[in-house]
Amino acid sequence: MGYVLGIDIGSAYSKGIALGDQGTVDSSVCPSGGDLKLTAERVKEELSFRNGISAHDIMRTVATGYGARSVIFADEVRSDVACHAKGVSSLLPTVKTVIDVGDLYTKVLRIDRNGGVHNFLLSGKCAGGSGRILQVIARVLRVKVEEIGEMSLKSKKRVDFNTGCAVFSESEAISRISEGVTKEDLLAGLHRALAAQINSLVERIGVEPDVAMVGGGARDLGLVKALEEIRGHAILVPAEPHLTAALGAAIIGREQLKKKIES
Amino acid sequence: MEGRGDSILNTVERYYKDYGLRARELRNEGRRLTGYVCSFVPLEIITASGCIPFRVRGDIHEPITTGDTLLETIVCPYYRSCFDLSVKQKYDFLSGMVIPHGCDSMVRSFSAWSYSLPFPYFHFVNIPTVCDQSSIEFFSAELNTFKKSLERFVGKSITEEDLAKAIRVHNENRDRVRDLYEFRKTDPPLISGTELTRTLTVGSSLPVDEANGLYDRVSAEIKQRERSPVKKGPRILIDGACLDNVELIKLVEELGGSVVADTICNGARDYFPKTDIGGNPIDALARRYLEKVNCPKTYRANRAGTFEGDIASRFGDTGVYAKEFKVDGSILYLYKYCDPFGFEVPARKAYYKSINVPLLHLEDVYSAGTMGQLRTRIQAFLEMLG
Repeated sequence: MGYVLGIDIGSAYSKGIALGDQGTVDSSVCPSGGDLKLTAERVKEELSFRNGISAHDIMRTVATGYGARSVIFADEVRSDVACHAKGVSSLLPTVKTVIDVGDLYTKVLRIDRNGGVHNFLLSGKCAGGSGRILQVIARVLRVKVEEIGEMSLKSKKRVDFNTGCAVFSESEAISRISEGVTKEDLLAGLHRALAAQINSLVERIGVEPDVAMVGGGARDLGLVKALEEIRGHAILVPAEPHLTAALGAAIIGREQLKKKIES
Repeated sequence: MEGRGDSILNTVERYYKDYGLRARELRNEGRRLTGYVCSFVPLEIITASGCIPFRVRGDIHEPITTGDTLLETIVCPYYRSCFDLSVKQKYDFLSGMVIPHGCDSMVRSFSAWSYSLPFPYFHFVNIPTVCDQSSIEFFSAELNTFKKSLERFVGKSITEEDLAKAIRVHNENRDRVRDLYEFRKTDPPLISGTELTRTLTVGSSLPVDEANGLYDRVSAEIKQRERSPVKKGPRILIDGACLDNVELIKLVEELGGSVVADTICNGARDYFPKTDIGGNPIDALARRYLEKVNCPKTYRANRAGTFEGDIASRFGDTGVYAKEFKVDGSILYLYKYCDPFGFEVPARKAYYKSINVPLLHLEDVYSAGTMGQLRTRIQAFLEMLG
């Protein structure tokens, strides 16, 4: 049947999935940068080049994410809410509640096992409660964003963070550093504060188990643990949580293709 | 108003973009235009005085600048935009301004309007907050005061006949708007939400008889249509305050939804209730504006004594519209710092749940720049409705 591409252009990172007849063939991730059209092309090129996929092997492309409309070669644009739901249900069919911690928003979705969306809620328009602060704090502490999860788990005395705003959190972090707290304790405090904000969004929509966490934020083990601690139950995280929207987009594309062939 | 091109809707679009175009002409002909905001100013009294009521609107494409040097940013961005455009002389053809007690911002900022604008006439209409018999009596007296202040301004008395005539022509205006809403009932609707809101917005910048003529022409044109301008998709009700810029509606329709109903101030909230004919015209106006205009600004006693009964009586009209226009989902679109609507969001959500209509709640800042951020939410909501 050839390949179906799912491309998720997020505000921080762009992700692509190539789906073949037997499932996912390859994935690609790169920073979104300032030229989203070019980024979309790059994601496609990388997937094609690495896997020897020629242009006419690509049967369908479904785009999603904040910059979805920049994927000019896409056959269809779908919301990342629908795509995450599809992607998560294919990987973790028991999940009914999905928490997606992205760079721009945090979203909570109530889904069924076929990936249908029953309800959803997004964090406010500002970056409060989104994953953006994780990147900000990594820059302040001069560590890699991939490292902050592990560091946070080593904390001995978590600091209390008072602000929910990403901008104010940065200033609060800087003043804590000047007070001499360790990076580990600071990160643990920040994770706790962010998890509390995410949890209030989760509570507003209501929870049905199982609960999964996806998006770039779910790669941060410190954040996942902090949310588990607040909620008092385990949270499932797929192996590559940042790719679920791209995967869902590709699955939606494949389903559409099947329907077309059948009719 | 004369149109270019073959379609009256092209003319509507031109008058929508150059809002106040006709008002400027009328001013040059020596007519007096009285600006107003909100759905609580009894336009019939303005019309009866010989002045032309002109709805002051904001512009989501225009950044709020001068206005913010005179009003604090705790006021909702919609109202700040109306004020900002006014102090930047966008509405310098007006002879006066009437502001009702539609919300606290309107009360508190009235003095800022009156000392920042060079108009010879200003009036504040005190609208009761509750809906008892005593409030109706008070409001009738208040409307008589309003009438007298206009009489002093125009230098002639307003007779009962003037009022009765104005009530009739404004009721005719509402009948015509109702006729336009009828076109929304087909699936997909014969008139798009964007076209309808544009038409009503333009109508509120015209003398009422000219607005009636405009609505007749729009109706006649829509009647000739064989096909809907929008694709068949989820049928959406827009719930909220004043939506005088069409961008949100356009976005919903671009994403495949059909906007077929609303509760907005420049829509059903304002145009559906009519004034009773016969009897004392001022009393009839008091009843129409206080009892029939259903705005969260007015406290309505919980007569049922239960939460369910209370929300059914406060928001029942929304349920009626949802049924009448066969709505699949509703978008509650509110401006940041809009207290009257903000306070009742939880109750409104509970009501939607009780009538089984899916709801998307959006909070916005009255700026074209934020439409992109709403896109994701609306798209996901429409996909969810299927």
